[in-house]
Amino acid sequence: MTATLAGLAPGEVRRRMAAEGLALRMQPITVRVRSPIRAFAAQIHALYRDYEVLDPRDYADVDVRMLPVPGVRRFARPQVQFVVDGVTPFEGFPLDHALPMFEWGLNWVFVHRMHEYLVLHSSVVERDGRAVLLPAWPGSGKSTLAASLAVRGWRYLSDEFGVIATDSARVVPFVRPAALKNASIGVMRAFAPDSFIGPLFPGTRKGEVAHFSTPAENVRRGGESVDVAAIVFPDFQAGEAATAEPLASSATFLKLAGNAFNYETVGARAFAAVTAIVRRATSHILRYGDLDDAHRALDAIIAQGKEPRA
Amino acid sequence: MAGAALRWRLPPGQRLLFEDFDDGILMFDALVGSTHLLSATSAEALALVVDTPGLTGLEIHRRLLDRLALDEAALPFAAVDELLWQLENLNLLAADAA
Repeated sequence: MTATLAGLAPGEVRRRMAAEGLALRMQPITVRVRSPIRAFAAQIHALYRDYEVLDPRDYADVDVRMLPVPGVRRFARPQVQFVVDGVTPFEGFPLDHALPMFEWGLNWVFVHRMHEYLVLHSSVVERDGRAVLLPAWPGSGKSTLAASLAVRGWRYLSDEFGVIATDSARVVPFVRPAALKNASIGVMRAFAPDSFIGPLFPGTRKGEVAHFSTPAENVRRGGESVDVAAIVFPDFQAGEAATAEPLASSATFLKLAGNAFNYETVGARAFAAVTAIVRRATSHILRYGDLDDAHRALDAIIAQGKEPRA
Repeated sequence: MAGAALRWRLPPGQRLLFEDFDDGILMFDALVGSTHLLSATSAEALALVVDTPGLTGLEIHRRLLDRLALDEAALPFAAVDELLWQLENLNLLAADAA
């Protein structure tokens, strides 16, 4: 039985984060986080409660410190720094925005280092062994759509990254809290009032942000990769009825490759992986203005998908 | 016809990968890491040079007419010559003197 963060008392989480660090398995990586900021420790405890706790003395792929910025300005305008493996890649954020900064910083680290994988800008969900990529740039509603599917029985693999193993072209889960922004926060609260959504962070660089905590089962299955059966480019249009427009193979390829964070870096392996996905999966542009409508359209798309590979 | 006798090859270190989809041919430029959507003529011209480095423009033109089942009116040498220089401009091909 693995030890999860929920099994640690709040005081112990704070102590570890302030001292040797709190090490968590966020498959496919391990992360050690250190910080003396008590509110941040409490937020990590709540959002990552279902994640496996590791021995902080073991090697971690990523070592993050969230540290208050020193100097005289700390009194008038306290800030927090994201420090990864001793490097500070960003300007500071307001101290009470440590959690969104940690989430964005960890995303940044992932796309800049994990070139073993092809990393798409995509949410990923799965049902009956069939993964659906929801590739899109910010503002298209992919996080809201993926979170809404997660509370309706779909397995949630990722909010932000479609992580593709280049040897198999299968999608690898990277289960993290979904960053809901602006109107999406109210939409999800109304759609799933019982789901856990963390504190609201107003006035971030991306507006209001709150984090949706994925059901525990998705974290537990974080090591199970899956074949891609459908590629659906979501396009939220307020008031629109859901329509799914099929997309040709070469157009799908170019959209997927253009949507990847590290296509050029991964090189020929990325070309082969995208080829395998496009040949295997159906592809559509999904325009929708209502989550229930979008779910029905996705049901129809996944029903017509090809059989997953044995 | 000034370039007709030049011989065409891949630039040093270049490697091209092709995938033929139902609605187009995609080619991966391994030197840069980018992907191009190609016309059938461009894909055939590149594939000819990959298969047989050192062909002249005239030889490529003749083989293209054969492969694509076209006559000279449909695909004049000038069009092929321009295409080869466009591909050279993208660093997908290189020309050297015969």
